[in-house]
Amino acid sequence: MDKSTLLLLAIILAVFGASVAAGHPAWGTFTGIAIILLAAGLAAGTLPLDSGAYFDERIGPSQRISNSLITMSSAAIVAIYAAGYHRTSPAAHRFDSQASGKASATIAAVVPPATANPATNTPAAASPAATPPVKKNNPRPTASPRKTPAGNSPATTTGINPSAGAEATPAVPHYKDGMYVAWGSCPHGDIEVSVSIEGGKIASTAISQCLTRYSCGWIAPKVPGGGLPDLPSQVVERQSPKVDYVSGATESSYAFADAVAAALSKALQ
Amino acid sequence: MHLPMPSPQPYPKHSNKGVRRSQALMGTVVTVHLVGGEGTPEGATHHEKAVEHAFDWFGRVEECCTRFEAESEVMRLASQPGVPVRVSTILYEAVQFALAVAEESAGAFDPTVGYAMETRGFNRDHRSGRKIETALDPGASVSYRDVRLDPDNKTITLLRPLILDLGAVAKGLAVDLAARELQPFGNFAIDAGGDLYLGGCNPDGEPWSIGIRHPRRENELIDSLRVSDRAVCTSGDYERRNSTDDSHHILDPRRGSSAEDVASVTVVASNAMLADALATAAFVLGPDEGIRLFDRLSVEGLIVTPELKRYETRGMSEYH
Repeated sequence: MDKSTLLLLAIILAVFGASVAAGHPAWGTFTGIAIILLAAGLAAGTLPLDSGAYFDERIGPSQRISNSLITMSSAAIVAIYAAGYHRTSPAAHRFDSQASGKASATIAAVVPPATANPATNTPAAASPAATPPVKKNNPRPTASPRKTPAGNSPATTTGINPSAGAEATPAVPHYKDGMYVAWGSCPHGDIEVSVSIEGGKIASTAISQCLTRYSCGWIAPKVPGGGLPDLPSQVVERQSPKVDYVSGATESSYAFADAVAAALSKALQ
Repeated sequence: MHLPMPSPQPYPKHSNKGVRRSQALMGTVVTVHLVGGEGTPEGATHHEKAVEHAFDWFGRVEECCTRFEAESEVMRLASQPGVPVRVSTILYEAVQFALAVAEESAGAFDPTVGYAMETRGFNRDHRSGRKIETALDPGASVSYRDVRLDPDNKTITLLRPLILDLGAVAKGLAVDLAARELQPFGNFAIDAGGDLYLGGCNPDGEPWSIGIRHPRRENELIDSLRVSDRAVCTSGDYERRNSTDDSHHILDPRRGSSAEDVASVTVVASNAMLADALATAAFVLGPDEGIRLFDRLSVEGLIVTPELKRYETRGMSEYH
């Protein structure tokens, strides 16, 4: 029963009590007062003493405030975006030209350490084919990918994990067995990665040299497991250089992925 | 004068599918990753252009809101206390939002701590390394109530001499504007050092996976989240420590010292401006009040104390 109904009931009771008290002078006074007290009790129930009603009261206004903050922030973004600026601000122009000027310079600077020339991107281009197995692979416990790379040929793997093996096989057979090393670069420095190919598959990946300003432990924890992103394990697990985004170590994760891609492109030759 | 970027590292990439680029902006490295577009050459160019436009927003917001450059709009405003100053839409909206958060958090978040921050050694432009020193009356204690907005004329009046610190709002705002620029493409990630916006899915078609740094152990993550179409902002006492004493970059405006009860705060919200501002407010409010604030404003959050005790909103489990 909501509080307005209760209040109405209390008022009716109070009026009834009063009429009883007035109509029956002999015994009615007592009964009337009792009914009025009952009404008062009911009325009290509608006041904040009732916890449910009390919280309704409390949550109401704050929800309005929260909506206004969320609305206000979205409205601000829309207003600024709508005002636009692209072709009007000279600073933006300067920024544009600077960015494009530097872009070509950076590409030239970055490619040599990777040793891999244009072929660097080949594995990435091949990765659309690898996408389905990656999706299927993820939900599985991390233990299974650790088993997979243990030097087994794709045929053996098929035996262990029929679904994954069947799908993964088309994406991998290009790699030649051996150990491949390559560099990846980011604004924080360079990362050298070694990738070991066994039986045509990525058996293990490790950061062999970490020359970034920040520790590579960010993207490759010294103690694996614990549910934390471990990019070298992800490469083995997914059989591809596609690794997760690590907040706070985004650049390093990209450099790592690039290095893996470069190493894999060597394995393709 | 607008300083030339000392170390912009435009870094166009097509590996891992899509366009990915990083630049040093707003005192951090900003990375934009736009998924897709490799099908045709036109698609690739289109994507490159969009990423470029997304980056433009950072430069524009910084020009308006940085207190590290004497010529920025917010510093020009600081030099004219007592008079209504007509400002750009960006500055007006940023200040209006900052004041609303200040009101909502009862002053735990306060954009008028700029001068206090400057005098406490947070006075160096992260890009140029140049120091900024502003002559203000150091005795004056100011609060967000000393800022007046006129919505009709889009003017801001500083009732007392003060410097607005929009650090907790501007970076988030730039991320949101960049996100808006990339919205038509659906799948993208923007990372501006602790402020992230994750649109749609990663190249594998799954929600983006985001690691949250452990506030005390250098090489570990304390949690990892899976999010889509959400902003994630983490604020920690390990970032930007002051050189003179060991204070960090989040000031309790009510006490005038660094907030000490919290080691890191992560907020998941619909936009980065809100997430960043609320993370900063919760930092000052402490774990209990912080979580109450998140619940009240219907955002999700995780607060870690220096003793590594975790406090989180109930909805946070959705992102695990």
